[in-house]
Parts: sequence; structure tokens; C-alpha cells
Amino acid sequence: MQTNLLSKETSAKSTNMSDKINHPQLCQWLDAIAQSRDKQAFTHLFNFFAPKILRIARGKFPNEAQANEVVQDTMSNVWRKAHLFNKDKGAATTWVYTVMRNVTFDMLRKIQGNKEDNLSDDIWPVAESMSCESKGFDDHLADKKLLSVIEALPQAQQDVIKGFYLREMSQEQLAIHLNLPLGTVKSRLRLALGKLKVQLGEKHD
Amino acid sequence: MINHHPKFELIKSFVNGDLPASLSAGIAIHADMCAVCQQTISQLTEQVAEHSFEEVYLDRFIVDNESLETVAAIDFNHMINDIVESSDIDIALPAVEKTVSFNDKQYTIPAVLSSMKLGKSSHIGKLTRSRILLNENEIHSSLLHIQPGGGIPEHTHKGFELTVLLDGSFHDESGEYVKGDFIMLDGSHQHNPVSTNGCLCFTVANDALHFTQGINKLLNPIGSFIY
Repeated sequence: MQTNLLSKETSAKSTNMSDKINHPQLCQWLDAIAQSRDKQAFTHLFNFFAPKILRIARGKFPNEAQANEVVQDTMSNVWRKAHLFNKDKGAATTWVYTVMRNVTFDMLRKIQGNKEDNLSDDIWPVAESMSCESKGFDDHLADKKLLSVIEALPQAQQDVIKGFYLREMSQEQLAIHLNLPLGTVKSRLRLALGKLKVQLGEKHD
Repeated sequence: MINHHPKFELIKSFVNGDLPASLSAGIAIHADMCAVCQQTISQLTEQVAEHSFEEVYLDRFIVDNESLETVAAIDFNHMINDIVESSDIDIALPAVEKTVSFNDKQYTIPAVLSSMKLGKSSHIGKLTRSRILLNENEIHSSLLHIQPGGGIPEHTHKGFELTVLLDGSFHDESGEYVKGDFIMLDGSHQHNPVSTNGCLCFTVANDALHFTQGINKLLNPIGSFIY
């Protein structure tokens, strides 16, 4: 076990963001990818992370091709999952680390056991899990009731409501994901909310 | 209240991604129910991530100039073009709750286990066990259900035995265990767990149980059945 590697750091204070890494800049790039599929921003992110990921992967995989695959898969996931990053929930470095660790974990499992089951995202969710988001929502029965009412909505409205409230995506992000005009997303959201209010009573807004 | 937590060393390996899927799942299940460990994990992940992507830290990995050259030898531009060519995005679907029944009682399966395949369940007395098919060689993971009043005869472990209580409670010589408890035992522990009101556990063990007392020694051939 690599016990000495981090023992010094871990006894330090919990949030030890160094100023060597420009965190706001990383967040901004990720956001640009999520909002507008910004290739320039991705190139910047790639140049920052890829060489580092490659060196870390070299330590875990003796095979060069496998280490390259970790870089390729990690950065490709960053490109495809950038909208799942939530800067209020943690640093960009933490999120990219999670993506990288998950790729590495699934690949090691594949090599060792010939299992291609990709369990990592269940163990370490890349999107904030809903159970975390509903921490303030202690009333479990109300939670269940709300869900069942949502599930009674037409599918198109459900998609919008779940994306907006459960996944905390912006209306703009939803429009991109569902491949709909922004206006449609907005009107579906309005419609669905109207129905929910009728079902649950005005106090649930 | 949850009283038993993974040791810090174990959490560290978990964050580094160094544990097998079975033990990683055990820690994730526990952390889902334990705000304290949840926080330790987030803080540690943040630190490890920070250090992973700092230049200074990375310099320690560079042993010679050759490795630097090979780093540069990869065609990063080609890789970038390859990636941005795809306009696909991954949509995270809301998790679907999965349930499992033991003796007519329904349980929600922890989200962590939702993609794992369950084997057929087998019964011995008040015990029902479903293997979780993770294919980790000598490491076996299971869902173990104990009916009210059931228990496991006094035994020790040849390797380690992890129990995460998913529902209900049980007790042994060391005390009472409740939902969310993370109980890691090894060969130095000898115990006789009994569940008065029944319980469901997630278990991971890397070897058979070894029964230690009297007539139960006859059970040793089935020690590998339970865990």
C-alpha cells in the first residue's frame, strides 16, 4: 500500500487549494465546454491535464498503450460529461480526478478479470448523486410523493422537470441535451410546474 | 447510531482507487449512510486531486529524461481533434431503484450495487445468501439475509470478513450493530453473530469461515457457503 505518499498532506487542513493551480480558469473552461461545446476551451483543459494524467497512468500501467488509453478515455469523458460538473460542489481538479480514477479503475478491472462492467461510476458518481442533493429534504414521504406525482406527468414534461430539479441542469443545458429549442424547454417546465402545484397544493413551490 | 467505520488507511486506498470493486462498494454503501465518512472522503479526494495535478508533485515521478521524451512523443493534437469531433454528450439518467426480496420482505438495493449481477439465492436454516457476481477470484461478495432469531455459529476468519449492515441489526460478543455499520474483521476475531429481529448485510470475504466450537466444527466444509 502506498501509505506514505499522502500522509503528510492529509493531516493538513481540509481545504488546501494551492495557488499553483488556477481553479477559476479551469472551471471557466469546463463551463465553456458544457455551455457551448467550446473546442478552444477543451484544448486548454487538455493541455493542462493530459500530460499529468499520462504520467500518473504510467505509474499504474506498465503498458504504454494502456496509459495512453487512460488519457484518451479520461479527456473524452471530460468532453462528453462537462455538463455534469457542478462548480458549487467542488473543484474542477477534484472532478477530473474522479473521471480519471474511474477510467483507471474500470480498465484495471478489465485487464485483471476480463470484466467490462464499468462499475466505477456507481461507486464514485461523476454527477452529484441525488441522495446528496436531497440532504436538506429530510421528509422522505414527501420526497416519495413528489416523485410519484412527477412520474405521472407526460414523459416530455418529466424529462424537463427531472433534469432541472433533480440534476440541477440549467434551462440552456437542458435545451442542448434534449435537443429542443430553449422556448420549448421553458414552456414545458411552466406547464409541468403548473400541474405539480395543482397536485401538491400551492405550498410546494 | 452508526458506530463502526472504515479505518482511515482503507478510505485512503478507496479514494486512490486501489481497492477491489467489492471493498470499494462496501465503503461507498457505508459512506452513503454516514455523513462523517462522506466528508472525510470528499476532503481527501479534493486533496489527492489537488496534489495529483500539481507540477511539483508530478516531478517526483520523472525518473529520467527518456520518460519526458516519450511523454512528448504522443500526438496530443491528434487526440484532441479525435475527441472534439464527437458531438455526443452523456446524459446522466436519474437512478432507478432496484429491490430484492428475502423471505417475502422487500429491500432496496444500494445504488452502488445496482449494476452488479446477483446470483441465485441459497438457504441454510435462517440464512439466505445471494452471491454478487464480481469475479474477483478468492474474494467473494454476497447479500446475506438473516431471519429473526438466526445467527452464525461461533467462527473465526482465515482472511478478512467485511460486513456492512444494510437493514436491521445483529449483535455478537463485542456488542450491537446497526444499519450502516462497517465491520471489518480478520483472523484475530472470533465471534458468534445473532440477529434477534433479522437483518440484511453486504458481505465481502477472501476466505472461508472457520467454525471453532464443538459440533459446529462439522460445519467447516460449508464455511465457504455463508461468506
